[in-house]
Amino acid sequence: MSRALDDVIVLDLTRQFCASLSAAFLADFGARVIRLDLPPARESSGGRWNHEADLIHRNKESLALDPASAGGAELLRQLVAKADVIVTDWQRDELAALGIDYDAAAALRPDIVFGRISGFGPQGPDADLPPIDELAAARTGMMPILPQPGQPPIYTGAGAMHATVMLAFGVVTALLHRQATGEGQAVDVSLFGANMYGAALDIQAFLAIGEGERFITPISRLDVSNPMSGSLYPSADGRWVTLTMPDTDRWWPVFSAVVGIAADDPRFDTHDKRTETNRLELIRELEVAFRRQPGSHWRQVFQEEQMSADVIERFDYPANDPQVLANRYILELDHPSFGAVKSLGFPIFLSDSPARLERLAPCVGQHTAQILHELLAYPEDRIHALRAAGVVA
Amino acid sequence: MAKALEGIRVIDLTVWFQGPVSAQYLADFGAEVIKVERPQGGDQGRGVRSIKSLPVGDWNQYFLVINRNKRSMAIDLKTEAGRGILYRLVEKSDVFLSNLAPEMLEAWGLSYDKLAAINPKLVYATNTGYGRFGGASKPSFDMTVQALTGAMARLGEPGEPPVYLGMGSGDAYGGIMSALGIALALYQRRRTGRGQYLDASLYGAQLFLAAPWLQSFLAGNTDAALQHSRKQVENPLWNLYPTAGKWVYLCEPNEDARFVALCRALDAPSLHADGRFATAALRAQHNEALIDAIEAVTLKRDHDALMRGCVAEGVVASPVNNLADVVRDEQAWRNDYFMKAYCEEVQREVDVRGLPVTLSKTPGEIHCLGPQLGQDTELLLMDLLGYEWDEIETLKAQRAIP
Repeated sequence: MSRALDDVIVLDLTRQFCASLSAAFLADFGARVIRLDLPPARESSGGRWNHEADLIHRNKESLALDPASAGGAELLRQLVAKADVIVTDWQRDELAALGIDYDAAAALRPDIVFGRISGFGPQGPDADLPPIDELAAARTGMMPILPQPGQPPIYTGAGAMHATVMLAFGVVTALLHRQATGEGQAVDVSLFGANMYGAALDIQAFLAIGEGERFITPISRLDVSNPMSGSLYPSADGRWVTLTMPDTDRWWPVFSAVVGIAADDPRFDTHDKRTETNRLELIRELEVAFRRQPGSHWRQVFQEEQMSADVIERFDYPANDPQVLANRYILELDHPSFGAVKSLGFPIFLSDSPARLERLAPCVGQHTAQILHELLAYPEDRIHALRAAGVVA
Repeated sequence: MAKALEGIRVIDLTVWFQGPVSAQYLADFGAEVIKVERPQGGDQGRGVRSIKSLPVGDWNQYFLVINRNKRSMAIDLKTEAGRGILYRLVEKSDVFLSNLAPEMLEAWGLSYDKLAAINPKLVYATNTGYGRFGGASKPSFDMTVQALTGAMARLGEPGEPPVYLGMGSGDAYGGIMSALGIALALYQRRRTGRGQYLDASLYGAQLFLAAPWLQSFLAGNTDAALQHSRKQVENPLWNLYPTAGKWVYLCEPNEDARFVALCRALDAPSLHADGRFATAALRAQHNEALIDAIEAVTLKRDHDALMRGCVAEGVVASPVNNLADVVRDEQAWRNDYFMKAYCEEVQREVDVRGLPVTLSKTPGEIHCLGPQLGQDTELLLMDLLGYEWDEIETLKAQRAIP
């Protein structure tokens, strides 16, 4: 079967979850992704399932190489010359020391697409700060307003996951340009920029409005702007309910019946009363109403009435949701060492060339000989000599 | 300047946030994106007039930013003549993108089978709520879908309510996921000459928002689903601390040399001398005591003073900024994460979210903000689709266009 990126060879020089996963997404859709396993070696998982590696390195091959050995750096450069894409999260000085920063790589392979996750972007005074998602998230302005008032700021980790997808998008977009013109280029996605896009609406609103305490300090769930939208209420069994019905006029007849308030209750019979004059009173009423029944009741009612509302779940819900399995968002694997396990699957469905799971994470150096043979046409004795000299493993 | 997606024409039949932002990524890199809207009111996103009960400002930044670089055609797809226009547009386009419900698209004669029969090379993309398969059928909005993923329930201090990741956080993520899918399908199409359909659902994307923790949960670490206190993190050197001013995020590994540097940065020799904290293992064992001890020091200083110490000792840390800080952050402006754009609505330059994906030779650009409803209808009918003026009059009479 033809895959989207069948003709693309990617070198994966990554350390972090987000960057490794970005390369895995390319591999899922057919790219030949060669993971460069440089010293120090990956930590062993101590006999337990290395669930992380089997997600972020799936479908990849591994070549173990020591660039500090005699001939190691030269071999690395030969590999770069054969690559269409590099995906990395290394710092610029580290890449330069290996002789494969963008300029050096482009000298070896002029049309290379060089994708990198940085901390704070290629320009500016902080361009070379370390790529640590927590640092980037702290700079983005959202952490203080995510929690309830009086609570510590919240780090979500979602910014790094934005970076994963943005980098893959940037690389494929650059490949499209190369396909049309033959020209390669550098692609940079920073954790800072990715965190900012995760916070797109709040940041854009603040850019446009330029002020507002409600953008700077947390809003209590008992003080939300619209009691029927963006709000949280505890149910009888402690599970939380959330509502997104911004157009309260449309929903009020059915919603009021569901929560046991008369539709013509004069306190709440217009949108303005519900969201302005009697907003806090409505929040208090709903706080009482939702506590009368458990989460399961509310989910059933929401489904029956096709309301835009749901119950807040923990990870056990998607892990067992038939909808998730039917769409391959989570996969049931028959792991060679650990038997039946579940692993995150594929968020994008392509009808003619769906994502593949050809193999789980490779062992370090599992494909060294094969890659040297296929990509660089090294004969067996030369590969053996490189191994003996400690250049590859 | 060359554009990466030059020559790609996209039909953007999307509303609200996820779909429009997906097409925005394509438009930023040079695709010709034609937004198709209902004549009455257009995309519902045009109606957003307040965010968190604050007026959006004197221009509609919710709609205009995510629909920048696009053109707009107003077509009533409920009429047969309106569908006829869309079919002709499909002949001339590379991508069809919609986040309307598949049942609605089917009812309007806009299913994949129908459009692929017109143009077999078409890349047909949907952004469903819960995926193409499995039969789930209910409304999907960012927060109600995020609720199902488990990402909210693991955040916050134990006992506190779950935490929403931010307005539009999941939609923005679904949008870039969809853009990636479209780029992949376009790349393949250039080699095979064939289109296909793809789906990037809000649910599928949002399951990856907390991927490291969800994957850990799937491997049996049930703890990964639960809230955790910052008072109990295993490595006190990588943690949030309150000061007399802003909070500060310390990001250091639990290593002796880094602990020494931190004690110097905090000017707290007593911490260094404390036997409970002498080795990495002891610091992990007495983590709660060490967190309390560090906090006792940080609370006495404001974040500026604390950061000066960190910088002097090479300790990796950042103040936890707010939105008023980030909009002034030089780093964001230098990298075009923020940009200026001319806004017709208020006849002046405004500040907008810029380009988070930096391509060195074909950078994205903002040449205009979102279009007025239907502003390009007649022009595109004539220039692109070859309608004559009398045919356009007929379409108006048929109420296919306004």
